[in-house]
Amino acid sequence: MSLTGLVAALIADDGTTDWPRRVPDRLETVLSTMPVGARAGMRAAARAVDAYALARTGRTLAGLTARERQSVVAGLTARPALLPLLDLLKVPVLLSAGTERMLEEGTTRSVLTRKDPPLDLTPASAWPACSTADAVVVGSGAGGAVAARSLARAGLDVLVLEEGSHHSTESFGRRAPLERFTELYRDGGATFALGTPPLLLPVGRAVGGTTLVNSGTCYRTPDHVLSRWSRHFGWTAADEFDRHLDEAERLLRVATQPLDVLGANGRLALAGAGALGWRAAPLRRNAPGCQGSCQCVAGCPTGAKHSVQLSVLPEACAAGARIVTEARVERVLVDTDRPGGPRAAGVRVRREQDGGAFDILAPLVVVAAGALQTPQLLRRSGLGGHPRLGHNLSVHPATSVAGRFAEPVKAWQGVLQSVGVEEHHGAGILIEATATPPGMGSFVLPGAGGELRRELEGVDRLATLGAMIADRPAGRVLGRRRTVVRYDLDRRDAGRLLRAVLAMGELLFAAGAEEVLTGIPRTPRVRSLAELRDVLAGTSARRLHLSAYHPTGTAAAGASPERFPVDPQGRLRGVHGVVVADASVLPSCPQVNPQLSVMAAALAIMENHTRAIVSR
Amino acid sequence: MSAATTSRVHQGRRSATRGTVFDETMLGTLRLDGEHHEHHEHHEHRDGPDGPDGPDGRDGRDRDRRDRRIRLDLTVSADRVMRPWGTTEARAAGRVRITGLADDPNAEGELEISPLARRRIRYRIAFTAGGRRLTLDGWKSVSPRRPVASMTVLPFTLYADGAPMGTGTLRFPLSTQLLPFLASFRFPRPHEPGAVLASRWRGEPGRTEVWYTTVTDPDTGSGLWLHHELTAPVDGSQPYAHGWAAVFPEDGPVRHARFGPVPWSGAEPGFDAGEVASRPGRLSGSADEGALHWDIAERPAGEPLFTFPRWSWNRPLLPATHMLPAARSRYDGTFTHDGRTLTLSGVPGASARIYGHGNARRWAWLHADLGDGDVLEVVAAVSTRPGLRRLPPMVFLRLRRQGRDWPRRPERGAVGWAGAGRFRADTALPTWRVTGRTALRRIRVEVTQPADRTLVLDYTDPDGRHATCRNSERADAHVLLERWWFGGWRTEAEWTLDGTAHAEVGTR
Repeated sequence: MSLTGLVAALIADDGTTDWPRRVPDRLETVLSTMPVGARAGMRAAARAVDAYALARTGRTLAGLTARERQSVVAGLTARPALLPLLDLLKVPVLLSAGTERMLEEGTTRSVLTRKDPPLDLTPASAWPACSTADAVVVGSGAGGAVAARSLARAGLDVLVLEEGSHHSTESFGRRAPLERFTELYRDGGATFALGTPPLLLPVGRAVGGTTLVNSGTCYRTPDHVLSRWSRHFGWTAADEFDRHLDEAERLLRVATQPLDVLGANGRLALAGAGALGWRAAPLRRNAPGCQGSCQCVAGCPTGAKHSVQLSVLPEACAAGARIVTEARVERVLVDTDRPGGPRAAGVRVRREQDGGAFDILAPLVVVAAGALQTPQLLRRSGLGGHPRLGHNLSVHPATSVAGRFAEPVKAWQGVLQSVGVEEHHGAGILIEATATPPGMGSFVLPGAGGELRRELEGVDRLATLGAMIADRPAGRVLGRRRTVVRYDLDRRDAGRLLRAVLAMGELLFAAGAEEVLTGIPRTPRVRSLAELRDVLAGTSARRLHLSAYHPTGTAAAGASPERFPVDPQGRLRGVHGVVVADASVLPSCPQVNPQLSVMAAALAIMENHTRAIVSR
Repeated sequence: MSAATTSRVHQGRRSATRGTVFDETMLGTLRLDGEHHEHHEHHEHRDGPDGPDGPDGRDGRDRDRRDRRIRLDLTVSADRVMRPWGTTEARAAGRVRITGLADDPNAEGELEISPLARRRIRYRIAFTAGGRRLTLDGWKSVSPRRPVASMTVLPFTLYADGAPMGTGTLRFPLSTQLLPFLASFRFPRPHEPGAVLASRWRGEPGRTEVWYTTVTDPDTGSGLWLHHELTAPVDGSQPYAHGWAAVFPEDGPVRHARFGPVPWSGAEPGFDAGEVASRPGRLSGSADEGALHWDIAERPAGEPLFTFPRWSWNRPLLPATHMLPAARSRYDGTFTHDGRTLTLSGVPGASARIYGHGNARRWAWLHADLGDGDVLEVVAAVSTRPGLRRLPPMVFLRLRRQGRDWPRRPERGAVGWAGAGRFRADTALPTWRVTGRTALRRIRVEVTQPADRTLVLDYTDPDGRHATCRNSERADAHVLLERWWFGGWRTEAEWTLDGTAHAEVGTR
């Protein structure tokens, strides 16, 4: 089933330029990395559109002229009920189209800021069938890297197991962002949360975990959140967080982003906030020497962003830790017949390359597979007995809005996530000026056919803002193997999202935008704040394009054994020798980008363990 | 739980439970780190990239060159009966052979056998190769999907001083090794020679209990007999301890002397009667006002041997029962008689125990050390009980050969199948005989006790009646063991003991 016809119809390929012709091939590559369901859905939709064209004109899309295709698309877009579905179809098409268009215009070569520090890496295919260690860390993201560093520095023989591969900064520089994008994310970036509305929930999968593909924004956990974790949930580790946050900031070399490479997108956000008198400032980031490549989400090509594989993991390896890549942990091995209760004995690892399995025996297993994978791994291991395991998922639902300006903005030249607007943070809304390479952001350009093509051609005049809201934990991670997430947006959070759209529109108009693209399929454009208010009054959050980031809380730590699967020291309840040290332990939404919070949590948990080891 | 705790628990249960012993042989290959590279380069240099071998041929030959063959022959023993659904910690000892690297017959290590609970059978075997201590560590990961493969394939890593030096795979060859493996399973009782030396007597009247030791000194041809006896008379009068020591020199008449009787104290483990004592590991005493005195250390060198059924020792339902705390022992020390001192240095012999109501109506006894760890123990007896005394002698014959006891159960020789096929004894002197056969084996034992090498003694039973015993620690014996093989009997083993058999015949 060829997607050529669909692509040609959606982006109005009239044959005047070359790049649209290459989009179908690019789209095929993108789809090949996505989960079966997403692939099948895409192809079924393409068939349905073809069938519609056949019924209307007697021929499929591929056999039509540009004009005829336009009339078919116009027929589709005239049906408002189809618009959200059409938007879903557009996401991978825009991703491919954006990349091809960018390649057509030519890219600037990135300059390495420094050589990658060395790591002790072994692919799973070269790992022996039987090996032992003092501790095994599952996952090499923010939590796993810190855990490995702490344990290795305490003198333990530590193995870090990472399902993804290792990618060097140099390798990022050699390839287009999209080519990297599909490799660095789980399911090619198409992880979805089922629910009303469905959410796109991309998570990284590589040495470095999601820190490899995040925007580098480093917020300290707000004090009111910490005091809630400690007082309401009895997670006493939060009391020590200040010290651990300092340590995490030092490790990542966190500093306020200088204005020189901020980019027009960030400067417009600052200008808008300045006009309104709102609190706004360049973000604190872990990217000293950032050159504004605007490719954070596909791996920093200059090495300026201090993801954990460039900062924490090298320290862990220097202390003796080893990293096994392409190694998916099938299950935690549990000796159920130990006196005193079941005890972890190691892990069964499946090689990504050939599907073969091997065991690593270790008395301590640190699970840091991320909030979506940790509950599934524990369930696969027969450790999913706690009724709250996998529940309590917070995701930071987010939406984005674009403003069209008279002058070119070229949002993709500068820092990807540059400015934070904290005016509404007290109300649970954090606005961040976020621009991505074309097509990679969560903002979906409106229209289809000729309209979409015009938007694509005029994309350099758009500035985009994103807002994420502090949500109630309304999600669940289901299943044992496939990532199955259910998330039903809380009514309060739906209101917050609409307020966030309004605030972003206000900011963009204040910055001088001629028009604001709302992301709402039926009313995609507004030209004034009053019009935006009217539109929002008549819409619900379900009509917004939502994505979600920062999943947390699925194996929450806390004092109550009934409510929290993990105890305040990070130990999984009901088994000895299993420690959880990733975003899953955060008992509620951290309300800010969580990298520092996750690292501080891992530091606190591991400090407790290494102290116990040293005193033994 | 730590390994130390595990072993404590096992030790606590040791006296109550049987153990497990089995043999396992595995074959496989080992690839040392770094060897791959070396050989590959060498190969390419020889054939060149355009050599006659295709990639497959080259790979195959390279593999042959790189891989070393490894063979593991292990005897695994655990302190309790293996529970397939639980976890059994076991010791392993045996031989490790690696082509061109190691051949260590004294490899030792441990096994964690947990096919269901932990789904893992782990081997950690340490051995020496070229002066270096190496450790083989690996485990079978038992999977219900592939039960046979996962129970027979053992991937392992080889460590030198804790650093990995190679990896390999061992396989249990089902076709050739399954039957020997299954047949090798034994569930032995824990071996504690000291425990059976404690007195069995619990205060009942009409009992006799004996600790006796017989020794042969191969250098001088002399025999020794130390007999320690506790008698609790039937009339309920005070129990007393007594006994005798006898020496059977090659060049002179038998010399013996009695000691006791003294009141039984029963305080010590073993036998204790004033100057004379038989305790675990030590025999000492004097008799005939110091004319005979001895101080001998005993080193058990074998598993216990129950001449009568084991149950009869644990539950005294038979008129009497006989057993050896260790089938063989070694003795060091001195035995002095009339100014002559016999110095013993690792000489063979055995101690035995008797407990019961008294002596038989008629009996014959043989202890023959057949060499190479093999032992033959025979007791043929006619009971004094009414009815039973009319029966022919019951023969309890135990041949321990290559670690196995034959017949498998002591009852087999004594009663056969309701009398049919029982072993026969003719206890006339000077030469008495025992014969017997099982399905595929038969034995013929001839014991000669020349009168000049025999000591005649008077025994007193708890009921006050007397028996006469003719004992020799320098008897001759001839043992012929045959096996049935396609229509005929073939000699399986034959032993001739010239003056080193220990024998006795008693009558009333």
